[in-house]
Amino acid sequence: MQDRATKSDGRADRWRVSAVGYERPYFAFLLNTPALLVIVLLAGYPIVYSAWISLHKYSLKRPRVFDFIGLGNYRQIIESEEFWSALWITLEFTGLAVALVVLLGLAIALLLNRDFPGRDVVRTLILLPWAIPPVVNGLMWQWIYDSKVGALNGLLVSLGFISEYRGWLSDPISALLALVCADVWNAMPLAVILLLAALQRIPVELYDAARVDGGGPFQLFWYVTFPWLAQPLLIVLILQTLSAIRAFDVIYVLTAGGPGTATTTLTWKTFLTTFDSLDFGLGNAYAYTVSMITLCLALVYFRVLYRRGDFEA
Amino acid sequence: MNRIAALAPFRERLPTYLSMLGGLLVTIYVLAPFSWLVLTSFMHEQDALSVPPQWIPANPTLSNYLTFFDPTGTRAVVGSRAAEQTLPSMANSLIAAGGTAALNVILGALAGYSLARITFRGRGTLLGLYLGSRMLPGIALIVPLYLTIRTYGLLDHLSALVITYLTFTLPFTIWLLKSYFQAIPRALEEAALIDGCNWGQMFWHVLLPAASPGLVAAAMFSFMTAWNDYLFAVILTSTIASKTMPVVVAGFATDVTTERTLMAASGVLAVIPPLLLAFLFQRLIVQGLTSGAVKD
Repeated sequence: MQDRATKSDGRADRWRVSAVGYERPYFAFLLNTPALLVIVLLAGYPIVYSAWISLHKYSLKRPRVFDFIGLGNYRQIIESEEFWSALWITLEFTGLAVALVVLLGLAIALLLNRDFPGRDVVRTLILLPWAIPPVVNGLMWQWIYDSKVGALNGLLVSLGFISEYRGWLSDPISALLALVCADVWNAMPLAVILLLAALQRIPVELYDAARVDGGGPFQLFWYVTFPWLAQPLLIVLILQTLSAIRAFDVIYVLTAGGPGTATTTLTWKTFLTTFDSLDFGLGNAYAYTVSMITLCLALVYFRVLYRRGDFEA
Repeated sequence: MNRIAALAPFRERLPTYLSMLGGLLVTIYVLAPFSWLVLTSFMHEQDALSVPPQWIPANPTLSNYLTFFDPTGTRAVVGSRAAEQTLPSMANSLIAAGGTAALNVILGALAGYSLARITFRGRGTLLGLYLGSRMLPGIALIVPLYLTIRTYGLLDHLSALVITYLTFTLPFTIWLLKSYFQAIPRALEEAALIDGCNWGQMFWHVLLPAASPGLVAAAMFSFMTAWNDYLFAVILTSTIASKTMPVVVAGFATDVTTERTLMAASGVLAVIPPLLLAFLFQRLIVQGLTSGAVKD
């Protein structure tokens, strides 16, 4: 917002070289050049190149063949059952993971916004899952879920919930749920941090005023807290959706898309097609399909972020 | 009457007690899975495989960690690959993540400053471009990146990893530093210039020190992103010359011959640097994540 102050009115102004340099467009471009070079060369160029490859028949198994087939790869994707299955599993995984992250994140953020002994310790500890690399997270949960010596089996049996050890990762439904839980553990802190920051921005006077007017706890939440949380919640929702769609490491380590195709999401399918079947043409078409879905969500995110509202002040 | 009077304080304190109970549950949820990994890394293999599980190691041992320093010892035979590769891959990860962090701060500070201070045509477009490139899924870039890096003969080189990570971390860094620079009063740099500094001196001696929390935060976030990456590392590296820790750790996960306790130990080692950063710079992280995702 501070930029408004120096916004130049006329063309003459724009070229004026002031001592501080606030009005020097060439200088600005010079400062941006190194960053732009890296991003254009290593993100811009690949994304265009990737689109080009996706229009070709190109497999590393026959590296000399590079035939233009138009949208052939995309047609093959849409007509294949594997795509629809992967899309459905992506929806299931994303929907469950996002719902859990948002609910759990909100609950923990509300809790940590209260005053109680030990709160600061919990606020610090909540960062722990966030700091764990997804690969280690996957490994950690793999052993927890282990069918022969896992902690989950050990715990549930000793508490009497189940009578014998189970293979949590070998049943299609429990494998997906196990994957969701592992991902949620890793992703939940970000939601807590963002929502807690939003809660702390709510002026205390609003609560006092509402209490004076006779509001109960639920009314306080609905009429005071929630309006301030609506935008951050939406942001958490979108960020988590994007990251769940992209989830890769944890799937690789924990289930590798299995059992069968029970946890084969679009991202995992893209990886398999590209680096297992070595079909780079089809793989890139898959990658593009994922990108398009992500991009649509990202556009929504931008709109939420830049709709100047009460939250941004 | 007496009973009611005695109960009143309890009823008043009930919400606090419930909050503490909630805090305890959250603590268990956060700590329990990780503790099991840590405890396993201090167990002997047969203890780790016991049924029911040993929650507290009966005979705690450092042998798993010591194996990494003595990859030719007797213990190493059962997990030779794990034993040999863990420490070198940790060094690789440190170099790749450290390099990414350093370059991020340098390039990000320049671009971030221009976006925070200078009015120029295309500023909005650039901001949008940086934000947009953060949204690209890595899986979409991996094939063309792989082909390009192969063309330049940089496969299995740490430099290829650093430059790849730079692409992913720089947009966030630029946005983050932009908001830090915006929070520094303009009067500060104007005063420096009036006192006879040129722009470079002003930037180096006045502005960067004033923005140092932002620089630390940016370095830390990019370090952690680079440290955590698996997808690019597994595709772009092939030998221990450039394999990073996540690649080595994930390699064990799919390898049944490596001992579980040894894997746990290398998993714990992979967690230490990001965990240290997270707890040391807690305040900066919370600030940075919030301003990076929410604020303009």
